[in-house]
Amino acid sequence: MNEKHVIRCVRRVTKNLLNKYVILAVMLCSFGLVSAQNPDVKVTGTVLDQSNGEPLIGVSVLVKSSKQGTMTDINGVFTVKAKVGETLKVTYVGYAAQEVKVSSPQLKIRLKEDTKSLDEVVVIGYGTVKRKDVTGSISSVTGKDLLKTQPATFDQALQGKVAGVVVQQISGQPGGGVSIQIHGVSSVNGTNSPLYVIDGIIIPPSSDPGNGSNPLSSINPSEIESIDVLKDASATAIYGSQATNGVVVITTKRGKTGAPKITYDFYVGYQEVPKKLPVVNLQQFATLLDARANEIYGGWSWDARPQFANPKYLGTGTDWQGALFRSAPTTNHSLTISGGDNTTQYLLSTSYFDQQGIALGSDFKRYSVRLNLDNKTTDWLKTGTSLQLAHIDEDVNATQSSVIKTALDLTPDVSIKNADGTYGGVTNPSGVVQPTPNPIALALINKDKKLRNQLFGNIYAEIQFTKDLSLRNEVSGNFDFNTEDKFSPSYTLGLAVRTYNDASYSYGQNIYTSVRDYLTYSHSFKQYNLNVMAGHEAQLSTYQNVSAARKYFPSNNVTSISSGDATTATNDGSKGSGPALEAYFGRVYLSWNDKYLVTGNLRDDGCSNFAVGNRWVLTYSGAFAWKINNEEFLKNVKVINELKLRLGYGLTNNQGIPGNTYVTQLTSAANGLSGTAQFQGNLANPYVSWETTKNYNIGLDGTFLNSRLNFSFDIYDRTTDGLLLQVPLPIYSGTTSGPGNMAAPYENVGSVSNKGFDLRISSTNISNKNFTWKTDLTISHNENKVLSLGAGGSDANLSQTNYTNNEVAEKTVVGKPIGEFYGYIYDGIFATANDFKTHALPVDQNGKPYPISPNAGGIWYGDRKFKDLNGDGVIDSKDQTFLGSPRPTFQFGFSNSFTYKGFDLNIFFSANVGNKVLNQLAITLNDPQNHISYLTSALDYAKLALVNPNGSATDVNNVYVTNPNTSIVGLRNYATVNDNNRSSNLFIEDGSFLRCKNITLGYRLPENILSKIHLYSVRVYGSVTNAFLITKYSGMDPEIGSWNPLQAGWDGGYYPQSRTFTIGANITFSK
Amino acid sequence: MNSINKIIIPLLLLVAIAGCKDSFLDRPSESQISSNNFYQTTSDLRLATANLYGGSLWWNWQNSPWLELGDVLGGNGFVGYYASSGDLYAHSISAQNDILSSGWAGLYNVIAQCNTTISGINQYAASSVSATDKNAAIAEAKFVRGVAYYYLAIYWGAVPIIEDNSALVQNPLLKRNIVTDVYKFITNDLTYAAQNLPTTDVAGRVTTWSAQGMLGKVYLTMAGLGQNGVTRNQAYLDSAKLYAGNVCKNSGIELYPSYSNLFKAQFNDVPEDLFALQWAPGVGWGKGNDLQTMAPNMGDIQGWSSMNPSYDLYQLYTSKDTVRRKATFMLSGDYYPELNAAAGGYTAGGQGLKKHIIGNAKDNNSPTMDIWSSIEHNALLRLADVYLIYAEAILGNNATTANADALLYFNKVRIRAGVDPDNIINIDSIYKERRIELAFEGQLWPDLVRLSYYNPDKALNFVNSQQSVTFSYSKGVATPGNGTTGAPANVVPATISSFTLQIPASELSTDPKLADPAVPYYK
Repeated sequence: MNEKHVIRCVRRVTKNLLNKYVILAVMLCSFGLVSAQNPDVKVTGTVLDQSNGEPLIGVSVLVKSSKQGTMTDINGVFTVKAKVGETLKVTYVGYAAQEVKVSSPQLKIRLKEDTKSLDEVVVIGYGTVKRKDVTGSISSVTGKDLLKTQPATFDQALQGKVAGVVVQQISGQPGGGVSIQIHGVSSVNGTNSPLYVIDGIIIPPSSDPGNGSNPLSSINPSEIESIDVLKDASATAIYGSQATNGVVVITTKRGKTGAPKITYDFYVGYQEVPKKLPVVNLQQFATLLDARANEIYGGWSWDARPQFANPKYLGTGTDWQGALFRSAPTTNHSLTISGGDNTTQYLLSTSYFDQQGIALGSDFKRYSVRLNLDNKTTDWLKTGTSLQLAHIDEDVNATQSSVIKTALDLTPDVSIKNADGTYGGVTNPSGVVQPTPNPIALALINKDKKLRNQLFGNIYAEIQFTKDLSLRNEVSGNFDFNTEDKFSPSYTLGLAVRTYNDASYSYGQNIYTSVRDYLTYSHSFKQYNLNVMAGHEAQLSTYQNVSAARKYFPSNNVTSISSGDATTATNDGSKGSGPALEAYFGRVYLSWNDKYLVTGNLRDDGCSNFAVGNRWVLTYSGAFAWKINNEEFLKNVKVINELKLRLGYGLTNNQGIPGNTYVTQLTSAANGLSGTAQFQGNLANPYVSWETTKNYNIGLDGTFLNSRLNFSFDIYDRTTDGLLLQVPLPIYSGTTSGPGNMAAPYENVGSVSNKGFDLRISSTNISNKNFTWKTDLTISHNENKVLSLGAGGSDANLSQTNYTNNEVAEKTVVGKPIGEFYGYIYDGIFATANDFKTHALPVDQNGKPYPISPNAGGIWYGDRKFKDLNGDGVIDSKDQTFLGSPRPTFQFGFSNSFTYKGFDLNIFFSANVGNKVLNQLAITLNDPQNHISYLTSALDYAKLALVNPNGSATDVNNVYVTNPNTSIVGLRNYATVNDNNRSSNLFIEDGSFLRCKNITLGYRLPENILSKIHLYSVRVYGSVTNAFLITKYSGMDPEIGSWNPLQAGWDGGYYPQSRTFTIGANITFSK
Repeated sequence: MNSINKIIIPLLLLVAIAGCKDSFLDRPSESQISSNNFYQTTSDLRLATANLYGGSLWWNWQNSPWLELGDVLGGNGFVGYYASSGDLYAHSISAQNDILSSGWAGLYNVIAQCNTTISGINQYAASSVSATDKNAAIAEAKFVRGVAYYYLAIYWGAVPIIEDNSALVQNPLLKRNIVTDVYKFITNDLTYAAQNLPTTDVAGRVTTWSAQGMLGKVYLTMAGLGQNGVTRNQAYLDSAKLYAGNVCKNSGIELYPSYSNLFKAQFNDVPEDLFALQWAPGVGWGKGNDLQTMAPNMGDIQGWSSMNPSYDLYQLYTSKDTVRRKATFMLSGDYYPELNAAAGGYTAGGQGLKKHIIGNAKDNNSPTMDIWSSIEHNALLRLADVYLIYAEAILGNNATTANADALLYFNKVRIRAGVDPDNIINIDSIYKERRIELAFEGQLWPDLVRLSYYNPDKALNFVNSQQSVTFSYSKGVATPGNGTTGAPANVVPATISSFTLQIPASELSTDPKLADPAVPYYK
């Protein structure tokens, strides 16, 4: 597109618009001309949408002088008594208000839709501002946009929609949560998530949302009006001590003045597992085991299975994944009624959502009711409330009973059911085969049900002292009551026998309350707009829980705790309060000439998590924005609608640690000596204090071509100092994970830097009467680097052990990103006699290479070679290196929407580039020396042969490997000294992917049909979520969200995201 | 517009804000006690030290390293179908072995609790608590810490010494300390304990005799350390003799008459148990004695791993030595009326562990006991052990001895077991007696390490020449062979390296300074 073309295009568009305005102006003038001094007449009018000429229903029409009003009916027609020449005020939601002079008793009024994006309101914390006046880095998503993907919970729908925000699903379990990182990872503990504020109610972060307790899952996504993501410090600072990692502000829909509007949305769908891992069938399994039992090169002299003697006569055996995963239905119904008059507006919404999990033993049901009410009580007082009641009913047994991992581990020779209909199980008594219980049975007979009743509530009273000065008072609360009901029956699943049954039941309540009051003064001087806000806030969390357990129930069908054996009863419980937070805050906003905007924030935060001297801290930020398009030199450049440069800097503080870590806490523990004893639960750090983040942000927002093209671009630089972290100290500190350790101390350790940029481009590529095509692209890039790790000097590191092989798989050091994979470089297998001569060998504690021998304790053919990186001739811990980062270098979202007449089509892709995944399942399932099932790739184990068939099988010069290019080890018993499964790049895979997240095709029924069935609008649609995935990753899904940044990208038998097919309808009964 | 309301309401709100007192931010735990409010009375101190006797802090060490390092490494048995245990059996223990790292973690968990208890008492104990009580409580913690460091020194040699865990917050990465300083640290702790612990206490608590018995064992071990040739350090032998002899002669404690009852929960904490871990039932995974995961099917208790005794161990028992054999391991056909008594007792279907197998919840009248929480208080130091240490200390650098004291205490152990007394003893007969008496109590490998300090060839010969294979048993005849237990048939021989375990790989990655040469602790 060249310059001329652009100008021509612009001209055409402006001309078009001008024409319309001229017509309108002429029309209005003509009404005025006809007017005369007449007595009251009955004025009848029709209100139409200017763009398509459709009648508008429920438009408010008010006679200015008499204050009499009415509304348009279903045909857009209204009747009022008015004098000719009087003025009617015509207002309608989503349209620009109009004043019309009564010119004749028959009026035709055309309303123009509000030109959206520029007048959109953005929540900035304790206030709102028009999108065009925003000074900070804030991205918004509308509720409409969210619903395009039919998410079970709204957090899942943010993926790829907001630039600068990395969203990854933690678990595909229904209701499972996501991990969200805004502008990189700045904290290394579990509270790395942003602050969620729903209608002023702060939702405290969950400790582990992947496990079926995602607090965000009680929100019905269709009730959301908009989501604003506050990304830089100039935007977040006003939220203070919980907002260092960004703020996600959710605003729910509210009632609007107008006739009652009733909408009904529903969909049904079914979900399926998109991919199964290729595991061996019975024939392949038997062939492998036969080969292993008969392996002469290294001593499997046992575990021969006579029943496998002739694999070719065996069937394919049990497909455990096939049995576990099902096509699971999902249903959603939601009904909303909203409306109101000039004093009271209401929205009442109710919904039911039911999603069965694709794995047996998992489902999620949500029932919710919302009431949003606003009341203009007197001319100086406004009151209102947002209330939501939700009941969540979750079955999390699939996750609790680890059925997915078990289904992958269990061998194909075990049957799901016996001939008599009872559940099958492992029957091999050899001892080598663990009697792993049948996962299908466990999924169906174990019970783990979580029920949650949640009430979010907010009431406010706003006093308008003068036109400019107001005081808003809010009390909000989040009341969460939950129970967990678990029952493990007795069973006989082959040799897996559980001789007794037991049950546990727990009850907990978490109550979070806050009180805030703030004064706002807003005044427009000649060239200046001033807005000053100051306030106070106090927040408190309290929790209480109790649990009980018993054994020996008379029947597996009677599961109430009271029916268990009372002598086996155990119980537990705790309660407490904290954190308590208190803050004083203020903001000044000043704009000059609508060109230069300045914002300054100041906040003093107190938090109970620190020792007395460290409790209070100051947070501040400032931002400057320059609306370049309002400068003289751009005023006449019509191609630019808006161009704004934003600069922001701020210092924010984070308190996100548990309470009372600054003293040693003694916990009562049962003890055989004195009944109870006092166990020291944590290593205290009395000096722990606030984490500080310095944040620079530069942004540029632009809107061009009559709003057809707009973009927003941000570059940021965040440096976090005094990183709050529960430090993974060496094991000898007594604070490693596992029983009996003290909780590691929370420390202010080192600093970390996040630099990056994010970009969002939206364009309307084609827009004409019948056809539109819009494109949205988001790109996020972040570079994370640890600048210091405090004590420990250059050796300091934060490492995590992989439970599959008991080895450090992740190491965070200065100069590298957080959570990089760490280990050895795989270098082929020992395949020839020469390999043993030329290749470095692992050594024992005295630096002596282990012997070359097929016996236990030796290194032999088919063992893996690792690179001697430091060239000292031996393989030891110094040969480890960094193997890549689990975090994507780029994350993309790419959305295209098309409309043609009544049809709409939306296709949404998300993509990650450059992230690595640790495939933990492949470690065990590719190891032919294990006693579980195998991936088919394990069949390519290193096969040994003799140079001289009559020679010795233990002579290193007489053996070789026939398939030297394999990476699967040989079939040797106790080939452990080489530690073949040590952390290495063999298990680190490229996790880049392109996912077609959603395709939706909708159709809006035409008016002539609607009028026959007395509906206002009906849209029917069909959609596919997770339609396809393009990736090189060999596991189920490379998108591994993680709650712990030090274990990001660890795939260990994760609940996969389902592919979902949905059909649904959005019906509006009246407008 | 009611202007009065407009003034009153904000005023009320201001009052509300002012009501937010300073104490609003004080949120001490309501479920736990903070150390700064504890240690106010002697009974607080007793609750603090009771913690050191059992529970989760000991779990990592006790649940498998105690027996697998202690007994499997030395050839007493093999835990089936478990690669990490197979590696111990084969002396091919890589730095990734999970039993290895579990042992390392477990002992340092114990040390962390001891250190924090000691500093808690020193920092916060009320002045109303008497010095004697305070010192006795610290002495209990030092005793337990000494035992933990003893095992660390035995298995790993040079290790980092940590006295104050909170110092690690500022300075987390340490080097190893030389092994002689680790032993010196141990004797300092145990000497303090011997001086400050009472001569008697409630059953289960350690006394000065526990500390002195342990001192005897540690000095006996130190006597061989760094000695070239086969001569041990006489001064240390004399110290061992002094402390062990004191326990033998002056403690007033006698051997418990029944060997088999020693390992039943009804007879927990008899005086012979100088130091036993104090386990509670119903505490859940990771907090209890879970040795019964090696139990056969006994109704509500059914283990899944099995400790198979070795053919070599089996052969040591003479035909008279049946009490100890049957209390130590089962042979196919053995009948145990006390196990699953409600179902008529248990008859062994194969070879397996008996020590630490005490039956199900009903057998022990402990309804909340389960597979994760046996109520057996397993002893880490018994009087019989001290008797044999005393005898070995008297034997010292002599080839044989017929010293009356040595024979008296050596034979007390034999006579209780129902076997004939000896009239002359040498190092082999002591080692044999210790191996039988203390089998599956985690003592064999420490004994071999002690031997390796001054006579590595003899220690290596002991390990490499034995038939540590498992065996089948039928009609009184044992046939060696690994059969279906999955033990490796051919094993690379142990070397002198085998007597020092590697630092766990993950620990070495976290703290690369552990690979540096060990440094002195005492400047």
